[in-house]
Amino acid sequence: MDTEPHPPPTRRCDGVSRRDFLHLGALAPLGLSLAGALRLRAQSAPNTARAQACILIWLDGGPSHLDTFDLKPDAPSEVRSPFKDIATSIPGLRICEHLPRTAPLMRHVALIRSVTHELGNHDTGTRFLLTGHRPTPALDYPSLGSVVARLRTSDSPMPPYIAIPNDAVGGDSNAARSGYLPGAYSAFSIGKDPSKVQDLHPPPGITFERNEHRRLMLAKMDRFSREVEEGPATRNRDAFYEQAYRLIGSAEAKNAFALGQESGAVRERYGSSRIGSGCLLARRLVEAGSRFVTVVDSGWDTHQQIARELPDSRFPGSGKLPSLDRAYSALIDDLRQRGLLDSTLVVLMGEFGRTPKLNALGGRDHWPRAGFACLAGGGVQGGRVIGATNPFGEFPVDRPVTPPDLAFTLLQLLGIDPSRELTTPDGRPMKLLSEGSFIHEVA
Amino acid sequence: MPPAVFLQNPIRASRRHSHQPTPFSTRQHPRGLFSLSLRERVGVRAARSTPRSSVHGPNTCPIFWKTIPSPLLALLLGALSLPALAEPPPFATGILPILTKAGCNTGGCHGAATGQGGFRLSLLGYDPDEDYLRITREHAGRRIDPDRPEESLFLRKPARQLDHEGGRRLPADSEEYRIVRDWIARGAPRGPADLRVEAIEVQPNDLLLPGKGQTAPLRVTARLSNGQVQDVTRLALYTSNDDAVADVSKQGVITSAGPGLTSIMIRYSGQVSAARIAIPYSGPRPTRFLGSDHFIDTHIGAELQRLHLEPSAPSSTATFLRRVSLDLIGRLPSPDEVRAFQQAGDSPERRRQWIDALLERPEWADYWTLQLADLLLLGGKGSNDTAIRRYHAWLRDQVASHTPLNQLVRSLIIAQGNIREVGPANFLTLANDPRDLSEHVGRMFLGTRVACARCHTHPSDRWTQEDYHRFAAYFARVGRSGDVIQVRQRGEVDHPKTGQPMEPKPLGASRPQSANSADNEPAADRRLELADWLTSGENPLFARSLVNRVWKHCFGRGLVEPVDDLRPTNPATHPALLDALARDFAAHRFDLHHLLRTITTSETYQLGSTATPSNRLDDRLFSHAYVRELPAPVFLDAVVQVTGVPHRFEGQPEDLHAVQLVGPQVPSVSLDVLGRCQREGPCDTPGQGGGGLARTLHLIQGATLQDKLSGGIVDRLIATQASDAAIVAELYLSALTRPAEPEETTEWTSLLGTAADRRAAVQDLLWALLNSREFGFNH
Repeated sequence: MDTEPHPPPTRRCDGVSRRDFLHLGALAPLGLSLAGALRLRAQSAPNTARAQACILIWLDGGPSHLDTFDLKPDAPSEVRSPFKDIATSIPGLRICEHLPRTAPLMRHVALIRSVTHELGNHDTGTRFLLTGHRPTPALDYPSLGSVVARLRTSDSPMPPYIAIPNDAVGGDSNAARSGYLPGAYSAFSIGKDPSKVQDLHPPPGITFERNEHRRLMLAKMDRFSREVEEGPATRNRDAFYEQAYRLIGSAEAKNAFALGQESGAVRERYGSSRIGSGCLLARRLVEAGSRFVTVVDSGWDTHQQIARELPDSRFPGSGKLPSLDRAYSALIDDLRQRGLLDSTLVVLMGEFGRTPKLNALGGRDHWPRAGFACLAGGGVQGGRVIGATNPFGEFPVDRPVTPPDLAFTLLQLLGIDPSRELTTPDGRPMKLLSEGSFIHEVA
Repeated sequence: MPPAVFLQNPIRASRRHSHQPTPFSTRQHPRGLFSLSLRERVGVRAARSTPRSSVHGPNTCPIFWKTIPSPLLALLLGALSLPALAEPPPFATGILPILTKAGCNTGGCHGAATGQGGFRLSLLGYDPDEDYLRITREHAGRRIDPDRPEESLFLRKPARQLDHEGGRRLPADSEEYRIVRDWIARGAPRGPADLRVEAIEVQPNDLLLPGKGQTAPLRVTARLSNGQVQDVTRLALYTSNDDAVADVSKQGVITSAGPGLTSIMIRYSGQVSAARIAIPYSGPRPTRFLGSDHFIDTHIGAELQRLHLEPSAPSSTATFLRRVSLDLIGRLPSPDEVRAFQQAGDSPERRRQWIDALLERPEWADYWTLQLADLLLLGGKGSNDTAIRRYHAWLRDQVASHTPLNQLVRSLIIAQGNIREVGPANFLTLANDPRDLSEHVGRMFLGTRVACARCHTHPSDRWTQEDYHRFAAYFARVGRSGDVIQVRQRGEVDHPKTGQPMEPKPLGASRPQSANSADNEPAADRRLELADWLTSGENPLFARSLVNRVWKHCFGRGLVEPVDDLRPTNPATHPALLDALARDFAAHRFDLHHLLRTITTSETYQLGSTATPSNRLDDRLFSHAYVRELPAPVFLDAVVQVTGVPHRFEGQPEDLHAVQLVGPQVPSVSLDVLGRCQREGPCDTPGQGGGGLARTLHLIQGATLQDKLSGGIVDRLIATQASDAAIVAELYLSALTRPAEPEETTEWTSLLGTAADRRAAVQDLLWALLNSREFGFNH
């Protein structure tokens, strides 16, 4: 068991008191930065997991398994996808025709076709998938990204957990947020345009020195003030200032956000879509030391006109599936060519699958009983297909995989023991996961 | 290329499950295609189309899907163990509760929408008729065998005499097993068709345990529709709302775990109740009392005594002025106002006058229009700019002219006409489906999440599917044609199971006898009856939910949290206070001014935020003021106020405040990154959207602050050649509503005095103030 004594209210969440923070701030000119001091404290056993980081491509809204990775070409027309299936690099495995670039890469991917649960609302389903816990009103569980940020500490000035464009997933639920962990472990939401992350550099006319001078003034001012009682809100606020200054102070870290440094050819490979730029930025961020990057692709709640919406029928080659295909395949290939795939776990999934029967509007509604997930890199054995649904894609007929199983597997691949305990703000020990087991077929 | 590795055998696997019904045999498997079958069966027969009526409404459903851990009922069943010759137990009240207690019908097991292993039960037994048919009739009755009851599949599976994925639920040597077996042996009778549980009662329902590790048993009785009263303690389901305070066993025995206040949720046969549990903090009984005879202070003070929490000292004059201004009008007090108040001297009477004056300011109407607009999701999904502006203007008029809140809500519910001309008619554009609309109404004005009951009885509230659809039926005839909201002659909401059109009925109340007979409106408009019931002084939920929201606005935490989840199983921290506030609010014509005055003049509201050693850990009993981050638009307006430099919003007049914006359709990068309510969904929990590291980077280096450090107050202070001390004093008073302390004055005057660039130094000081903790929080 690994408990962390919860800091009394006068201490900061990381065990450094406010006074220490200010004291250290004052020492910064002598070369001992706060980040450095924190690093000294964060001495932990070396992590031997192959996966050093995770990129989660989140298909927000619930991607249709039947029109992507689990087509049922022999099913009646009410169920069958309007799309054809194509061969992949795995003999016998066929996926959607609108994923032609992904098909040859399936030998690097473990495809799970039997993800199943029973929460058919966007918010509850998303919470289940992203926290590994069934949501309850009693306790907000931290997202996997926050858990990774908390437990896979690094000495990088990069924010450990980043969301592109933001962490408002599942109908703006708290699914991707820090839950009972301090807010400091929530994601850095980089904003709408991945190619223009705002506010990383001093405003025009403000030198680095003046910025630094202001920082010292602020620290002093906060120390004088006795009006605001310490609490979770103020501790979060302080942690964000600390993170911000760590990032501001590192040219390398800021550089990681500069998509403009990539060649036109590379940007073209990923595609100019949001998800394309997002995946490319995710690669740069992981390369620079971030631990968990979520790329959110919204618009998968396809209640209508799947045939027209998923590939955009007006502009051949565009639309959700072609953009995903381009971005996902480029990311896997790029990571592989850079020798990063082995240390980067790439997960592709959404909150649930969609109804087997096409509805009257040519769409599909929510269907949590069956869905898919693709795992690649980070120690995952590619070229595998795990589980299967029945001939109508209704429910798993073999090897059902639950959201806790996925969470368990993801944490373990990242070198985090899912039976570990964390402490809630009121001092209660909580296991990272209360159910689930490792999907042994992936490794 | 690696070989294919298919890690399962679909043929073998599907054979194993060959008794699974096919997806289209709705006869056997009516929920096989859950949302489809519902869509087909619910059939809202309104004249308009319902393009995206999935089963999932706009609201959250806080369902306790959690599988109940493997239960082993070791004890006998008290009142339910009947002598062998007595009547066999009726299914609904004698057998079904055993299945529920054993966990057979949870969402993770047979209670799932598609069942489990080919056997489906209603979630937590909400539908006894259907369950009875499935157990005794489905698959030609092969689940039970009255001639050889022990051989019944229905017993061999849960006794684990046959393979059962759910494990051993009814051990063959248990009393429950015996009851079920005897019931089968006697022909598995249905019992009286309409027998049901009408109410449950728990004793004690309000309990103080003096320390950790103490235990106390609960006793639960059920009143049946035939008048019979049963002890159901051993068959009720118990859930602790916070097991860090108190845990509860399957037998209903409470064990205290740590100081604080929580409640135990109790469920039995579709009825719910709760017991409140308090464990005092470790310190001595407080010596300081809340002195006033204000009813808020009486209630809060009594709980502080009971839980051994010392109230903090009253707030300083400056803190009070800042807090109450921010809460009532969303603005900082100006330096002149603060100086005037200080000169006249502080007193409870002067504070009351200050509150009264704030309530009369036009900014009050702006700010409370914003609060209501956020609640109503005004303009969140709107595309018609003219209509939204009309709606906003109407809302502000209502607020400014002190329209009682019940009348305001009434106008929204019954509005009709062109949305470009009739402001409140825009309320009806929130959703096209009457069920979605009724869910919005439930969440906004009753503080209740009815969405769960769309598909099954609400697992932690008392709403049934019938309640839900009868409530939704009030909106069945509201139609939209282009920009016009109108009432149609036809349109029904059908019950998803029976397909019968539902008569409208209020939630948790019987239908009024002579609905709206005195009204001049066309009698066909069902909404009049809804509006009458909803906004009447007798409605227990309407006033409570509004009062709770306003309380949360003023204290940072509701008496009930979450504020849209008022239900018997989620009681208030101070139930009697919530009731008293609601009664007082209704008695004063639902006057928002009266409510705000009542709250802000209490000693509780005016307590300081500095914790004492005894109350440091308290976060829900209001022993001290809880610090809160300024909401995005208030923060931005405060920056403008302090710097004296306006913030321009695209296409808006120059002097418009952020709180005056019609809605999020006015683009503003600043407000987005600061985290404004986007009004696409509930904004009851602050800090969604923006915030965090992005917000912090923006405050440190972004344009919102940087652009306001030139011009305005900086220019004025430089131009008037104010002294260093005067500059520090002015900036502190303006940003923090208090004078600088001597050490602050010393530090910053020396900095200004030695600065090479005096203007830059003033800018930097102002920048630091706007980034400071104290500025960013309401404390």
